[in-house]
Amino acid sequence: MTQPPSTYDCPPTLTDTQVLEFCKQGFLMLESVVPDEVNQRAIDYLNQDTHYEPMGILEQDWFIENVICNSEAVGVVRSLLGRDFLLPVLMSNHRRQCPWTSQGGWHVEGGTIYEPGFNHILVFYLPQDTPVEMGPTEVLPGSHHFMSQQRFMAHLGNIKGAVRTAAPAGSIFMADYGIWHRAAGGSGIGTRDMLKYMYWRTTPPTRDWLIEPDFDLAHTNYEEGVKEFGEQFRTSLDVARLFVWLTGKGDHYKHDGGQAWPLPARRIGTPFGFPAELSNW
Amino acid sequence: MKQQIGERLEACVQKLNDGRLTAQDLSSVLDGIDDARQELLYLQAHSTAVTSEALGMLLVVDGQVDDGPSDPEQWPYRSVLEAMRDGWRVISFPNMALLALDDRTYGLGCEFVLERWR
Repeated sequence: MTQPPSTYDCPPTLTDTQVLEFCKQGFLMLESVVPDEVNQRAIDYLNQDTHYEPMGILEQDWFIENVICNSEAVGVVRSLLGRDFLLPVLMSNHRRQCPWTSQGGWHVEGGTIYEPGFNHILVFYLPQDTPVEMGPTEVLPGSHHFMSQQRFMAHLGNIKGAVRTAAPAGSIFMADYGIWHRAAGGSGIGTRDMLKYMYWRTTPPTRDWLIEPDFDLAHTNYEEGVKEFGEQFRTSLDVARLFVWLTGKGDHYKHDGGQAWPLPARRIGTPFGFPAELSNW
Repeated sequence: MKQQIGERLEACVQKLNDGRLTAQDLSSVLDGIDDARQELLYLQAHSTAVTSEALGMLLVVDGQVDDGPSDPEQWPYRSVLEAMRDGWRVISFPNMALLALDDRTYGLGCEFVLERWR
């Protein structure tokens, strides 16, 4: 057995459009990216080590290679956190014995900090099929832009627009650490394992993911496809600010008020307020 | 409980008109009123208007916490006003102190808390 390396690098896999979509939704799902034999091996391991922090699995070569360094998963991490990102240092298992009738409470992860940018990513790995009946995590798209604290979310119930991350075995679900989520109840029968871990940024942000030559930073719609919960156009401001930060030009982000960029509109020519520093990138 | 008291009062009026009303009849009008339980309805709305679209809900009914239907189309109320029309009383309005903070979105929508007694 070998210790996992502290940092890792690989080719990025997300395009401009996909990075923007992550900035909007705050999460993405990679379905069935881990091979079946590895999923079964993970399940067997977790049946032996039922601790809620099965740390030993981080010392298993087969797990490091196929899950932690899964090429599709780390391609996303590389796209969002840059080169030489830090590998997980802690492993948690959110095991449920279904049927599980009660809903978990809405929460943000402990340790969430609200700062400009994106410096770490939350990951869940599902080794078994996890349909709605097996209580997949429920997540509120776009909520990574809302400030809250666990203690002030305990009275929340059903929320319009929330989605359940039901997925087949071998799926890896990645999210902004501050996204609102909860454990859903499940009427099925059996054990549901869900491993939780995270990666960290070690290098300054830069636009070194897969560049789309035609991607138009000035005219793209920063809030299309996101349900609005806050002030009108707030989503555009939050998403544009995050996306520009990820390109490494966060210092140049600005909104001049009113209808200026990055608010969505049908415009002729360069939108008023579009930072000149973002023109040649 | 409100409906039960109303029915008892109507019966008392009838007895009064018939000349049969007793002190015990009047005393019994409020029987059980101390047994009534508070029920709560949390509704997070898009704005402070009572007609605004409900974005989130949670009920506390019969001493049990109930998220309500997972499908928003099946929620019992689409707005605060609909809940008020069904007998719920608003006991807390959205916290206007958040108006002072316009740099980001805080919490989920504009939260109303409503109650009724059963």
